[in-house]
Amino acid sequence: MSLDYTKEMVQFTRNPEIAELDEVISKPLDTNPSKKYFIALAFTSGLMVLGFICIAITFYFGIGAWGNNQTIAWGFGITNFVFWVGIAHAGTLISAILYLLRQRWRNAIARFAEAMTIFAVICAGLFPIIHVGRPWLAGYLIPYPNAMNIWPNFISPLDWDVFAVSTYFTVSLLFWYLGLVPDFATLRDRTKDKVKKLVYTFFSLGWRHSSRHWKDYEKAYMIFAGLATPLVLSVHTVVSFDFAAAILPGWHSTIFPPYFVAGAIFSGFAMVVTALVVMRKVFDLENIITLNHLEKMNKIILLTGSMVGYAYLMEAFISWYSGVPTEQYVAINRAFGDYAWGYWIMVSCNAFIPQFFWFKKIRRSIPAMFIVVILVNVGMWFERFVIIVSSLHRDFLPSSWTYFTPSLVDLGILIGSFGLFFTLVLVFTRTMPVVAMSEIKGVVEGAQPSHNGGTN
Amino acid sequence: MRSNKLHSVAAIFDKPDKIIHAAEKVRDGGYKKFDVNTPYPVHGMENAMGLSHSKVGFVTLFFGLFGGSFILLFMWWTLANSYPLFIGGKPFFALPAFIPITFETTVLIGSVATFIALIAVFFKLPFNNHPLHDTNYMKKVSVDRYGINILTEDDKFDKDEILKLFDSLGAESTELIYEPKIEKYGMFNVKFILLLIFIAAGTSASTYILLNKLMYITPFDWMEFQEKITPQESSLFFADRRSMRDPVNGTVARGFIPYPYKGVKNPKQVLANPTLPTIENLKLGKEKYLTFCSPCHGNFAEGDSRLNGQFPNGPTLHSAKIINYEDGRIYHIITNGQNSMPAYDRQITRQERWAIVDYVRVLQRAENAKKSDLVEIKKESSANGQ
Amino acid sequence: MVNNDSGYIKRELPRNVGKLGVILFLIGTVTGLIGYFIDPSRATYSYLVAFLFLLSISLGSLLLVAIEYAANAVWSTPFRRISEFLSSSLPLLLILVIPLLFNIQDLFVWSHNAEVVKDPMLQAKSVYLNTPFFSVRVLVILLIWGLFYYLIIKNSRKQDESGNQFLTKKNIKLSVIFIPIFAITLTIQSVDWIMSLESRWFSTMFGVYLFSGIACVALAALALVSVLLKEKGYLHPRLTKDHFYSLGTLLFAFICFWGYIAFSQYMLIWYGNLPEETFWFMQRWQGGWIVVSLIIIFGHFLIPFAVLLSHPSKTNLKKLKYISIWILLMHFIDLYWLVMPGMNANGLHYSFSWMDVSFLIAVIGIIIYMFNRMFDKYNLLPVKDPKLQRGLDFHL
Repeated sequence: MSLDYTKEMVQFTRNPEIAELDEVISKPLDTNPSKKYFIALAFTSGLMVLGFICIAITFYFGIGAWGNNQTIAWGFGITNFVFWVGIAHAGTLISAILYLLRQRWRNAIARFAEAMTIFAVICAGLFPIIHVGRPWLAGYLIPYPNAMNIWPNFISPLDWDVFAVSTYFTVSLLFWYLGLVPDFATLRDRTKDKVKKLVYTFFSLGWRHSSRHWKDYEKAYMIFAGLATPLVLSVHTVVSFDFAAAILPGWHSTIFPPYFVAGAIFSGFAMVVTALVVMRKVFDLENIITLNHLEKMNKIILLTGSMVGYAYLMEAFISWYSGVPTEQYVAINRAFGDYAWGYWIMVSCNAFIPQFFWFKKIRRSIPAMFIVVILVNVGMWFERFVIIVSSLHRDFLPSSWTYFTPSLVDLGILIGSFGLFFTLVLVFTRTMPVVAMSEIKGVVEGAQPSHNGGTN
Repeated sequence: MRSNKLHSVAAIFDKPDKIIHAAEKVRDGGYKKFDVNTPYPVHGMENAMGLSHSKVGFVTLFFGLFGGSFILLFMWWTLANSYPLFIGGKPFFALPAFIPITFETTVLIGSVATFIALIAVFFKLPFNNHPLHDTNYMKKVSVDRYGINILTEDDKFDKDEILKLFDSLGAESTELIYEPKIEKYGMFNVKFILLLIFIAAGTSASTYILLNKLMYITPFDWMEFQEKITPQESSLFFADRRSMRDPVNGTVARGFIPYPYKGVKNPKQVLANPTLPTIENLKLGKEKYLTFCSPCHGNFAEGDSRLNGQFPNGPTLHSAKIINYEDGRIYHIITNGQNSMPAYDRQITRQERWAIVDYVRVLQRAENAKKSDLVEIKKESSANGQ
Repeated sequence: MVNNDSGYIKRELPRNVGKLGVILFLIGTVTGLIGYFIDPSRATYSYLVAFLFLLSISLGSLLLVAIEYAANAVWSTPFRRISEFLSSSLPLLLILVIPLLFNIQDLFVWSHNAEVVKDPMLQAKSVYLNTPFFSVRVLVILLIWGLFYYLIIKNSRKQDESGNQFLTKKNIKLSVIFIPIFAITLTIQSVDWIMSLESRWFSTMFGVYLFSGIACVALAALALVSVLLKEKGYLHPRLTKDHFYSLGTLLFAFICFWGYIAFSQYMLIWYGNLPEETFWFMQRWQGGWIVVSLIIIFGHFLIPFAVLLSHPSKTNLKKLKYISIWILLMHFIDLYWLVMPGMNANGLHYSFSWMDVSFLIAVIGIIIYMFNRMFDKYNLLPVKDPKLQRGLDFHL
């Protein structure tokens, strides 16, 4: 890439015709899937079914089937929950925040990222439901005037979580669907299949690309982006409050909110890059989702990874500075105690490995970046695990100190959640356009009027 | 299916500059009822068409604020008013703790309201019967062409003039859009009635199955079947198939104090009388004596059974032997029984037994009064003013 | 100097501006010195707040420059020089910190050996909180900041003559290195100057809190100066409402960010209710400080939020000007609120003093004077910056 700051970042490796974009993006929807697809789908569905079996075991036998004990009452369940919610955040960041920052390169990846958000939230939402033990009694949690006169505990961060995650899911779903309406309309007008036409007609709501509608649409899109931005920050903040509001050393730390948000964006982007690297090859989208896009995402991974590293340093320093013996012990125990292996995996994968992205060669190399982002995902899972388990396993009372070992059911559910996520992604790639057609058309060169004698 | 009624005249352009230009010309030409269709939003179209700014933001603001205030009020009412509980030492109206939920609800209600208002009010969708659907115009405009159409309802509508205008603007093609034929169905259409029946049947069946059947299938047992043991239940756990177990050796009833001389016929030592012959005690003793002792020993302990020989006669209690008994020995006989007299410790409490002893002493004294007792009574009665 | 591409013509500010700066500086310094002779410890505290205020604006402006380079942003390129001029006081901090270092004993309990010996908590922290190490840290960090200022600004100015794109690349490299260094050094400074005033208190969020305030104030200063320059006709005509809208949006976003960080820090400490953390906030909710706390809640967040929320507000230059002044004032009050109650921990009794105002005036004078000097010497527009044309053409 030659040095030229007078030009904008190249959106496409080769400027496409607008009609061509429709062809490329609709191809997976018009054609039958290949054998490879079915093999992949069978694999992910298998993992998903394994997860469901383990969940059924959990329902039948109770949480005793997991590795949780006293004092480590939160184990894999909450770790997985925070992990998946974190991954969800990248999608909203790409679609909402990059939109507000007027970064046009987000158009190529926004649709896929938002879909990932919704699927990740679905995976995340599974865990609060199954970890309560008897989820079929969940109806008792709804606030209605009942015989016991009792109301939900709005003061508890766990209740804030309920509001935050459901709001996040709803708003993401609405935002995603809003973007899909014009695409469904385009698909409706293209398709020759009668059944597909019926389905697309239904979901397109009768959208007819009217500019009068586009005017309100764009405003609403901007509003949604403006609402989703603080929402995405608040959701992982509220998740961090689950821990920071407690007085457990290792949990009660004021930096948790931005630390978690940065970590969420970090892991989310890593997952997006993981998925995009595969998808752009499989669906011939390399012209639309270019190395430039991937490089920008890798830079963001570097930035947020460094923020997470900063938080590690700050926590360690203040643990010492505070002079509180329990805080100091937690810091030392984390690094050198029973879970030191987890801690060092976390630090190396989150703080050290992303530093490779300082080098342009690595940022732009597909195999290298793929390895880095997989390690980042591993590291971020371990971060949640270390925060939760290592702080719990040795708290104030030495007589309560114990060790946590995940059961096979725990592992099965974790694997199953990945199976669920990737199954949903695979189904999505074949039923809906993975690139937002109306948005990507708008950034093709020559798509917008030139400003001669224009009103702007 | 198209009717013969013309809806609008449409033109297709192939470049965004041309459609902007066309929109401006149409706007300047005084046409009000026209629309532009583009596959993606084209910058500057709002001004080119002379449209006013979007009002969607007001919906968001209003409903967002409404949602936030509502939930704050709700939290205040439930936790500070309806059923205040001390939670973690926080005040009932814990404002810092309420802020996250208030914020989330503001965003939620604002977004949902915006979405619904956008689709239903601003777009007036879903509307799949619009004349533009399934036209060549629509097909092109969905992909990579830009279209403009002027409705017949417009005041200045003149088909030929408009076609000329479009030509002069360099339209790639023009098209006449006709209204779709609206098929009318009567209300008593068979298909419709069948649909209604199907919906009714489906709704009732699914509700019934869900609420009457599914909700009672395991594990939805509403805590009816519990693992705990209820009295008299059988149990597979114990060999004798009973859930209830004998009490452990040495188990005593509540309040039980063992009597050291139980079962001993003639104890060498007896308990000392812990009570005083107060009026209450004597009243109690009299009541209990009359209940339990008088059937055998007579109303005044003279050994004349109240039941006139139908019950065994107990001996008189005024004999010298019994007068010389210690209080505790009389207590022992009541507790332990003697000869044909059964043990009364299951029927008369310890307190009551001592009260009976006190009363018997009173009876004995009454039948063996001395002259000196008279004086005492006299003194007492004059003291009482009688 | 005329560059035909952008139509920029270099002008100088009226002489009054520089004079104003000098006068304010002299008034402030003289009255401050008088205050110092009357009550040295009180004066030191006032000086500290003013010093931190100057640090906020100059360091924050340098950060804005670095962020623009790192993010390869285009719309802010025409504004960049203003931020560069605002950051010109940064090297001066090295000199201005000296009086503070000489008066360290007035500020910090841990600098008194007698106190340290009595208190096991201070002894435990004395590895970090001792005068020599503290002074070294402060000086080294200020040197680092000065160095980055010098390097980045030098390249930017050099580019005015050569238009060499390689200089942009160098600055991008410097900026992306500067940003993490900024994070760590600012955190250290915030712990050193403010958090250690009450040596028993700790909060892992503190560095981020100060960063959020600094970002707000740097943007507010940039917005204020830009609007003033536009009003007086110095600003390039192609800088339109769209540029100011972007600036206003960024300011709005960082106000929200500040509110979020401030609330999180407070709420977590309130919720945990641990005495070793809550006492710090309790001190700031006693007596007159209640009013100041409320002013900060409403003034630093709620009012700017409401004012900057709507689209038209962000393009209304007058509104932007006044809200920027307001935010600058609020940040000063925020620093005041952070520092002053610390006096009670150090055995002094706080009461408002005119010295607080005098040092503030001196600092404002410094900023105005340095801005004026740079303005007269260098171009307001980075005339040969490769991103300039796109920046001037920027539209929403």
